[in-house]
Amino acid sequence: MKLESKVPTGPIEKSWDKHRFELKLVNPANKRKFKVLVVGTGLAGSAAAASCAELGYQVESFCVQDSARRAHSIAAQGGINAAKNYPNDGDSIWRLFYDTVKGGDFRAREANVYRLAQVSNSIIDQCVAQGVPFAREYGGTLSNRSFGGAQVSRTFYARGQTGQQLLLGAYSALMRQVGAGTVKLHTRREMLDLVVIDGVARGIIVRDLVTGKVERHWGDAVLLCTGGYGNVFYLSTNANSCNVTATWRAYKRGAAFANPCFTQIHPTCVPVSGDHQSKLTLMSESLRNDGRVWVPLKKGDKRKPQDIPEAERDYYLERKYPAFGNLVPRDIASRAAKQMTDDGRGVGNTGLSVYLDFADAINRIGLDKVKEKYGNLFDMYHHITDEDPYQQPMRIYPAVHYTMGGLWVDYNLMTTIPGLFCLGEANFSDHGANRLGASALMQGLADGYFVVPYTIGGYLTGTKLPKVTTDHKAFVEAEGDVVNRTKALLGTKGKKTPAAFHRDLGRVMWDNVGMGRNAKGLQAAISKIPEIRAEFWKNVTVTGEGADFNQVLERAGRVADFLEFGELLAKDALVREESCGGHFREEHQTPDGEAKRDDEKFQHVAAWEYKGEGQAAERHTEPLTFENVHIAQRNYA
Amino acid sequence: MEANCASKRSCRIFEFLESSIGKKIMVAAAGILLCGFLVTHLAGNLLMFVGGPAFDHYAEALVHNPLLPVAELGLLALFLLHIVLSIRATLANRAARPEGYQVYKGKGARTPGSRTMAVTGLLILAFIIVHVATFKYDVGGLKGQVAGQEESLFAHVLGWFANPWYALFYVLAVGGVGFHLSHGVQSALQTFGVNHPRYTPALKRLGLAFAVLIFVGFASLPVYFGFFHKADLACCAPVEGGSK
Amino acid sequence: MNITLKVWRQKNAAAPGALVEYTVSGVVPEMSFLEMLDTLNEQLIAKGEDPLAFDSDCREGICGMCNLMIDGQAHGPDKEATTCQLHMRRYKDGDVVTVEPFRAKGFPLVKDLVVDRSAFDRIQAAGGFVSTHTGGAGEANAILIPHDMAEKAMDAASCIGCGACVAACPNASAMLFVAAKVSQYALLPQGQPEREKRVLAMREAMDKEGFGHCTNEYECEAACPKGIKLSNIARLNREFLRATLLTE
Repeated sequence: MKLESKVPTGPIEKSWDKHRFELKLVNPANKRKFKVLVVGTGLAGSAAAASCAELGYQVESFCVQDSARRAHSIAAQGGINAAKNYPNDGDSIWRLFYDTVKGGDFRAREANVYRLAQVSNSIIDQCVAQGVPFAREYGGTLSNRSFGGAQVSRTFYARGQTGQQLLLGAYSALMRQVGAGTVKLHTRREMLDLVVIDGVARGIIVRDLVTGKVERHWGDAVLLCTGGYGNVFYLSTNANSCNVTATWRAYKRGAAFANPCFTQIHPTCVPVSGDHQSKLTLMSESLRNDGRVWVPLKKGDKRKPQDIPEAERDYYLERKYPAFGNLVPRDIASRAAKQMTDDGRGVGNTGLSVYLDFADAINRIGLDKVKEKYGNLFDMYHHITDEDPYQQPMRIYPAVHYTMGGLWVDYNLMTTIPGLFCLGEANFSDHGANRLGASALMQGLADGYFVVPYTIGGYLTGTKLPKVTTDHKAFVEAEGDVVNRTKALLGTKGKKTPAAFHRDLGRVMWDNVGMGRNAKGLQAAISKIPEIRAEFWKNVTVTGEGADFNQVLERAGRVADFLEFGELLAKDALVREESCGGHFREEHQTPDGEAKRDDEKFQHVAAWEYKGEGQAAERHTEPLTFENVHIAQRNYA
Repeated sequence: MEANCASKRSCRIFEFLESSIGKKIMVAAAGILLCGFLVTHLAGNLLMFVGGPAFDHYAEALVHNPLLPVAELGLLALFLLHIVLSIRATLANRAARPEGYQVYKGKGARTPGSRTMAVTGLLILAFIIVHVATFKYDVGGLKGQVAGQEESLFAHVLGWFANPWYALFYVLAVGGVGFHLSHGVQSALQTFGVNHPRYTPALKRLGLAFAVLIFVGFASLPVYFGFFHKADLACCAPVEGGSK
Repeated sequence: MNITLKVWRQKNAAAPGALVEYTVSGVVPEMSFLEMLDTLNEQLIAKGEDPLAFDSDCREGICGMCNLMIDGQAHGPDKEATTCQLHMRRYKDGDVVTVEPFRAKGFPLVKDLVVDRSAFDRIQAAGGFVSTHTGGAGEANAILIPHDMAEKAMDAASCIGCGACVAACPNASAMLFVAAKVSQYALLPQGQPEREKRVLAMREAMDKEGFGHCTNEYECEAACPKGIKLSNIARLNREFLRATLLTE
């Protein structure tokens, strides 16, 4: 396998323009002859499906939810970055590019990140034109706020529901095309396999989640926009249906999986309350703009927060990182919280949380202003914990939130399988080893609105695509595989529920492959996961039938894939003998506990190639070069 | 639907009346106009407190007004519009939930008035039929049965009110009107799109006050003349069997 | 604590359905209502019984996937909360809770507590958008929108499309959902070019789906987990009247 990034040569500012010019165009009359399958309807998927349909391609769109509007992009709270420089505080495309590369701890492709920063402004224009109700100043101009890891105010937002508003904007564009008949929307469909004919992606196998019918769909290109794999940890801020299945199936058909160990642990989530917990809830990072993070100075201090005097509190982020204070990047904030709880200074019943205090903000800007800025987040917290954050500090703890790793893609967002594109969180993307706040929405929409609509044309004109039908033997085989797998899941008739297996896997992942990783723990995970997997196939119980609406079966299939994927994630983490961004190897840290990269050995993307059942995956590397950003130890102190 | 339209414009009207929102706007418009009728009717009725001659004089003038049949037709049209569209909407609403809930509680937004719109509506319809039949077309034959009062509507009405069952039915029915209006007035405003955070609470109270006034105004007549001032009307009592 | 549930079970749209009683043990106050149902399902699967089918996804009140009529209230007893945000601290040991699917002709039943809300998608496809194409947008700050107007549009736009308004409405009317979308665009300058066309088309699509009429019972507003206001329905009425009168 060869990893050809296809990054254009020459000055980075001109790369994308040059590349776009070099991409061949599809004759407008020919566009309708091409069929594009788009899997997933989040920001990337909806944006891509709508934009491709506007261009004239025949588009079919698939999602697991009952409506395209429910994809998990909807839950993003804080905002979306763009280099508009409206506040006149010195922002620029170059600075956004620089911050993103640095924030990602120098593990992303420069040219991709530059392009992302370049199109960021068009995204805001596009969303405003769609009627996305961004926050406004009294004069009517768009409002900005600062967001974790940035010293400029470049984040656009719609209260704490920015993801919702951007997704509904993309969804409205998608539904406009559905209404016009240019997109055929298939809801409650789960992609269970990729069909590859002569080495080229030509279709997908999906299961109709209502009837259980397995369907074949052909296309000239397949776009996977299926999100991240955070649920491999069982508990994460991801929605229940988020899974790795689509990208994992593609991996098993030959797409390389890059940097799976780059997972982001978000510092501000509602802490776990017990075993029953089905998911964790994020409290937007924007809260750190006005909230102050602290723990008691004394270990095991069980006093109520309001009873702990100022002198006996440790505002540890402000202490350790005076320049950035509470706004340090997510990975740093998360690890700092872990250090505090490991040190026995955590708060709450479990001792696994830290305070995020708004008392100062309420005194400074007033209760009403705090309510206007964070009202819905405070309400959400109140609902979950029954504690009123206006009266007492919030309790927060890190949780798995975003996955930077994903299918390897070239500059065109095409995977190692020609014709298979991967967009948004599902690809290994532009965030390197750590994503900055408010950059996920930017990337999803950039990929969907402003990258793939161009690059797909280049692929379709430059490739000979013979007509295929779904009767082709590759379709028959792939469908057969899906049907057999379903039968195997239903036929095991064991004693343990898929959710119980998922919980077991999650515990192994969180304990050994979570915030702090070391060789011993990773090796333990690598030996434990196959054991759980073996037990799964012997002892899982899946009730009901295949040809029916069967949520247990859906869950079982996803857990089965997580049980394979988790092992690869742990392996990737074991091989990457350095600490960078969200990947923290305890063996590799500075004396004061900061991440220590090893640029000599690991300044590359690791992409894993599937070599067949029972065979070890092969690790390929794509070297990363930094010609425009000065490589340095990240320093937020 | 469009194929049957004679012209684009007539089509629009048809579509409007067929549409859920248009239907409701028409029901509300007819309802508000009927409220206007209620006010004039009540004003006329209240002349009974001034005295028989005043009331009779007003009735005479009204009956001899050449425009009365036109007004009556208009009124009939308003009633029909209000009733027919309401019934159609209600049937459509029933059909919109073919399988009901085993337990339905809601979150307390409904009012007694809103819950009973169909019931009070039907009660009012029944009352109107009886009311028009007895007072306008003299079904039950009270007219001219009272010696010396052949031409007096006042006496005619008093005759009916003297029957406690009729008076009670009248009070009950205007109670239904009040209930209907307690929801109807503010509901009509909302349907017309009148909703403003500053004015709507006040308008809702005004709607309620209007409903109470209409009820008290109309109910005062049978209560006063049927129960408290009965003695004075001994002369006008209907002859035996007349009202049965 | 133990909770007794009376849950609507129905294999599919064609099969007959009925309330079935279950007792869920080991419920703790910190559990969400859906986690309580998860617990029941785990207990059912362990016994080899078919678990309850119900929809949920984000479990933080924003995706709009979860629904449920809980003791006759859409999304349960809490104000401005979705079912996934309802916690068991609301209940006490021994409570009996009735759980039914959202009921409306426009929301045909799929299985147990799962309904098909694609009617909302079709209404959206009829006109719930601004006809702009990717790349055609001008500079964002060239459109000035007063702060309060943007906030009002945002209030309307925060609809999550869960369908609680329909479920709670005695007439199964979808007016609040449609009103929220129409309002968002009617308030914003971006929505003006298609203002009349949009409201006429969305109204038509709404009626076609078989939803009931709005009789101003206001249960939709009370049930809405996002606090979408009735003033939006008033605006929809105005917009419809205006469009009917103005369109040539």
